[in-house]
Amino acid sequence: MALLSKLFSRPTKPRAVLIGLDGVPYTLLETLIAKGVTPNLGRLAAAGASHFQQMDATLPEISSVSWSSFMTGTNPARHGIYGFMDLKPGTYQMYFPSYPHLKAEPLWDTLGKRGKRSVVLNLPGTYPARPHEGVLVSGFVAIDLKKAVHPPSILPYLEKMGYRIDVDTSKAADADFLYRDLDETLAARERAFDHFWTSENWDLFVAIITGTDRLQHFQWHAVADASHPNHERAMAYYAKADAVVGRLLDRLGGDDLCLLMSDHGFCGIETEVLVNRHLVSGGFLKWEKDPPDSFADIHPEARAFALDPSRIYLHRRGRYPKGRVEEREVPALREELKAFFLGLEYQGRRFIKEVFFPEQIYEGPEFDKAPDLVLLTSDGFDLKGNPKKAEPFARTHFTGMHNRHDAFLLSNRPLPDKRPHIEDVHGLLLGWIG
Amino acid sequence: MANGNGKGFVLWFTGLSGSGKSTLSKMVEERLLERGVPVEVLDGDEVRTNLSKGLGFSKEDRDTNIRRIGYVANLLARNGVCAITAAISPYQEIRDEVRGRVEQRATFVETYLDCPMEKLLERDVKGLYKKALAGEIPHFTGVSDPYEPPAKPEVVVYTGGEPPEQSCARIVKTLEMLELVPPVPGDDYGADEEAAVAARLRDLGYLG
Repeated sequence: MALLSKLFSRPTKPRAVLIGLDGVPYTLLETLIAKGVTPNLGRLAAAGASHFQQMDATLPEISSVSWSSFMTGTNPARHGIYGFMDLKPGTYQMYFPSYPHLKAEPLWDTLGKRGKRSVVLNLPGTYPARPHEGVLVSGFVAIDLKKAVHPPSILPYLEKMGYRIDVDTSKAADADFLYRDLDETLAARERAFDHFWTSENWDLFVAIITGTDRLQHFQWHAVADASHPNHERAMAYYAKADAVVGRLLDRLGGDDLCLLMSDHGFCGIETEVLVNRHLVSGGFLKWEKDPPDSFADIHPEARAFALDPSRIYLHRRGRYPKGRVEEREVPALREELKAFFLGLEYQGRRFIKEVFFPEQIYEGPEFDKAPDLVLLTSDGFDLKGNPKKAEPFARTHFTGMHNRHDAFLLSNRPLPDKRPHIEDVHGLLLGWIG
Repeated sequence: MANGNGKGFVLWFTGLSGSGKSTLSKMVEERLLERGVPVEVLDGDEVRTNLSKGLGFSKEDRDTNIRRIGYVANLLARNGVCAITAAISPYQEIRDEVRGRVEQRATFVETYLDCPMEKLLERDVKGLYKKALAGEIPHFTGVSDPYEPPAKPEVVVYTGGEPPEQSCARIVKTLEMLELVPPVPGDDYGADEEAAVAARLRDLGYLG
């Protein structure tokens, strides 16, 4: 009987599973595997470089942009998400681009048109939830669980089982609280993974663990330093996340594709870099009131400003109410800014590794919303768009920061023989499921 | 002004026959009326019966038809109305010409209804594609006449697969983003929720 049921339950169609470990760097994962902290990830990685690769994330290398590129297989000039926040057209008023602003088609919509069902759990950038063929539980920055689920009929189950959208980051500076909250949130997350794995008939199963990113923002020092008092607690969290992954891996059918990935890399912070303050010092930015209350306090003579974390916008006439930069001034101003940023130093060291013009990194119908320059730093230099801080460099309670080059991609099947970019994952999944 | 900023606008649908222009124009019209936005729909078929009676489907006649629709839409938009046009409008050049006129005084929102040909053939409610493919209808856009997809539309909706409600929501959301229609609190982020989002981002070191 057992054999019979096994035969009947064997998938007759190609299915794919995508497990996300938000922010986990390739180089850290190599170490965790080598130390035996994450044996389940280790068993996949043991197949070698054909199965485990370092991956590039988007620019900017933040979750809302990277996961949008993952889900659509496109760059920001196609999916339209350039950051966690933007300014409303023709104003200095902030808004928060979210799922309704996504301009390219996410993978599950494409699959839905082909009659395929997708379960998508805790994926950042999918709030408020909207219908697709299958199930969605939105991830960061979801606020209200009622608006974070589709279909609505799954809400009572999630509420009853104590599902948590995220850890309480307002209290995460307290390490004891953070580690306890991380564990509880992960446990609730796994209950949801379990439930939907078995209760839904799916073709694509997307399960994202975001606690890794939260741990690393607040506790990178403990992750990286084996002598730190919290190091073992940090390692224990990776081990628990690995165990969750392992239990999913154990359920895979022989025909299933399983990919694991992070949406960006991570590293320690040497200093935060307040980009707008540097622009003020360089004579590019001026405030009517300094420090400003918001971007609305920008001076008409300001030529450029920065939005989190690394986007530089020219204060163009016609695009911003007080903007005076004319179109003919743009090429020279971009070059001037590029030279300025590349020359910035911290304790005698230059830290801006590259300055990109948008045409070098973006293409698509949303190109006109792209920043005029995008900065890429050396590891350790965390760019901030905060306009209010008076100092050009600062340290806070955060100890970890994102980087672009150190995301990872891991697979139970051989990967293409080229360095992957996060946009490629979409094609791998779509190609498998068909 | 009822639409929130006193500016009228033209919501210009373009897409092949059967891609859902009439259906979506009615849906968007209802959503906008609910929000107190004055709306008029200029449906391609109705315009041909009234405003453009006698015109055929040569490129010249098609251009004349689109110019007339654009003219009326522009008049409406200049007077604070949302003019929704639902005609195939296959040529980029003429759409751009209308855009140029409208943008002197109002906003032009080009909306591309992207629907694959196999889906259109599968639907073919009126049997038009079948006839066109059999050579019974000359100058049929997408079969024997060209269709030029917009190079840079403000909105693209995928009417071949996504439900019309989803397409409609995306269009209305874009109009909100452009501040052409007032948002409905709770539809996306209300003020309280926006504050909560900002707080969450600050907790992770963004915004400052």
